[in-house]
Amino acid sequence: MVQETARAFAHDHLRPRDREFESARGVAPHVHHLYRDLGLAGLELPEALGGADLGAFARTLVNEELAAADAGAALALDPLGPALYPLIAFGGDDALRAHAVPLLERAGARAVLALDLLPRLETLGGRARGILPWVPADRVDLLVVLERERAYVVSDGLHLTQLRGAALRAAGASELRVDGVARPADWVSTPRARWALAHARLYVASLLVGVMRAAAEFSRAYAMERVAFGRPIAHHQALAFLISDMASAVDGARLLVQEAAWRLDRAADLAAEPDIDGGAEACATAFLEAAEAALFVTPNGVQILGGHGFMQDYPVEKWMREARALSLLLGGVDAAREDAGRALLSDAEPLALDPASRSAAGAP
Amino acid sequence: MDFVLDDTTRERLRQIRDLGRTYMRPLGLEADRLGRPTPPEDPFFKLLVQLGLGRTRWSGEPGVEPAAARAHGGGGARSVVVLAEEMSYWDRGVAVSFPGPGLGEPPVLSMGTPEQQQRFLEPFRKPDRPRWAAFAMTEPGAGSDVAGIRTSARREGDCYVLNGAKSFAANASRADWIVVFATVDPSLGREGHRAFVVERGTPGLGDFQVEHKMGLKAYESTSFTLKNCRVPAANLLGDEEHYARRAGFKGAMQSFNATRPTIAAMAVGMGRAALDETLAFAREHGLLRESRARDRLERIRRRLRAARLLCWRAAWLADLRRPNMLEASMAKAVAPAVALEAAIFGMDLLGEVGGRGDHLVEKLFRDVKAMDIVEGTGQIQRIVMARQLVHLPRDGAT
Repeated sequence: MVQETARAFAHDHLRPRDREFESARGVAPHVHHLYRDLGLAGLELPEALGGADLGAFARTLVNEELAAADAGAALALDPLGPALYPLIAFGGDDALRAHAVPLLERAGARAVLALDLLPRLETLGGRARGILPWVPADRVDLLVVLERERAYVVSDGLHLTQLRGAALRAAGASELRVDGVARPADWVSTPRARWALAHARLYVASLLVGVMRAAAEFSRAYAMERVAFGRPIAHHQALAFLISDMASAVDGARLLVQEAAWRLDRAADLAAEPDIDGGAEACATAFLEAAEAALFVTPNGVQILGGHGFMQDYPVEKWMREARALSLLLGGVDAAREDAGRALLSDAEPLALDPASRSAAGAP
Repeated sequence: MDFVLDDTTRERLRQIRDLGRTYMRPLGLEADRLGRPTPPEDPFFKLLVQLGLGRTRWSGEPGVEPAAARAHGGGGARSVVVLAEEMSYWDRGVAVSFPGPGLGEPPVLSMGTPEQQQRFLEPFRKPDRPRWAAFAMTEPGAGSDVAGIRTSARREGDCYVLNGAKSFAANASRADWIVVFATVDPSLGREGHRAFVVERGTPGLGDFQVEHKMGLKAYESTSFTLKNCRVPAANLLGDEEHYARRAGFKGAMQSFNATRPTIAAMAVGMGRAALDETLAFAREHGLLRESRARDRLERIRRRLRAARLLCWRAAWLADLRRPNMLEASMAKAVAPAVALEAAIFGMDLLGEVGGRGDHLVEKLFRDVKAMDIVEGTGQIQRIVMARQLVHLPRDGAT
């Protein structure tokens, strides 16, 4: 149901205006209102806070639909985005009430999540200082910083310098200089940080699935229309096979994303604590696959359209840039590869079929 | 799609794991070392019969078609796919050598008259000893292009006279009967095909030759010839009217397929075995400290997991009786290549240990290549996919 709502909204209001949003660096105000009225803004918030209380699986469905129309708009429209997850993991309802709910009521407000592994921001005497080279936003009301073992938020001293941005321009693009109060000090917990990162990766991975689906679908349809050497180019076997492999890449990535979401939701049902039952590894794996598949599918989408693909009259070049930019978020593929690979150290039979023997393996 | 396995399937998984660890893996390695199939008199086959394995899915009630779900005692096609993966994890060659009606069973079930089902499948209901049946379509000159088979069938009185040669038929020399496909008129393509049950000892059936394969040595892939082989007309599966009817429904047939995801799942199982063996080797030699090794193992795990989910989805659609031609071919196109990659990388990590020729990963490297060939090559799968995706025509372009 929520998937159909998202699909119809994306089809009617996002896809036809993607280039307009891109050049305006933002989404038209009435589209923001529609998005909120449909209940998409508080998808994963508890009902008590005015949300729909849906889980990770629903999130992957919605994100795929929105990103298949316009991934930049998907980011622009969600005031919380993946910044939601550290708030839930570390602060619970109180943190959501303090930080998330106010953003929902402020038109165009944005929270941004920074995964800070190096770290790039230093925190001394309760202040966070440093520079984030790129955030996909022109406005940041709340910065949520996630590290391996802790999280904190910054809501003052956020200075933005607008950038052109490689992609996702509908959401904006800025360098973010931070010099503000970091609070609270006691959000420290490795399992909670892993839980938040797992959900955040799934959020971005499902956007990637949407982007590559759009590219695969569009180029497939184009290849059936375009004629060369006496037949539709799709009927030349080199392209017929490529189009088949692109479809496999999209479906394989989507199944990994959905299975990872299922693991997160199942863990949420089973335990009060944010305990994840192999979910963290599955989400890192899904992110990685989504990134690799998207970077196979979207450049080939351009390739199938040939010279037209390179022109901005067609959307395929935009999807190629979006796939590249999205897969740079949250530490990108190398951080995901590191996390997914480390899970091999503790797991003797990583793909054993009997779930009973697996329940303890991935728990933090 | 539901990602949970039902309890029956999990129970069967445990049974297979026990059999696999104790018997299948060692038997597979032995056959590989000796370079010959496990002989039909091996006690393992008697044990399987005692355990109630190797029986027919046929219900025993003429005219009652066995539902896939009931037949495999669990969750239908998906259950079959899951169990096939586990069997092949332990040894795919041994799995194919299991007694039972095997690939001969589906044509008898789908085309055979109630009397034929009774005749040929009754001995497989509660077999007194290990029994096999076989299936023979492939010929020296016709593999993926099945329309090109040349084995001929000519009606003579109460018999059909068969002439031709068949290749690579699993378990054929030990089979009670073989379903042989022949043509009454090569110019008709598949419409000219007829399926015959040729029983062991029929005069003219002979020249059995167990082929020498690169891998999967535990089961016999056998070539044989039919020389003026007179088969009773009662052994033509269905009857002539059946084939006339079927020709009229061309195209409506085969809207779903459960075999390709099963074969694909076998590849996943073999790839998983290569992954686990490689991981064990890497642990033992402290190689996991290096991210170069971890990264590649991670990729293998990820691609195998995606391939498994593609198999599950195709099977799940088959269980729902929903069209799955695209999804079934997708699973089959993806999984064997991933599994081969797992074995190739495993050999990389083993280094010269892999070069010795006595490591399980090296055996898997040879075994798994077959999976991209049987039941439609990877290329054929992409053609089937392209027919669905871009309406690739069946003529000149392919």
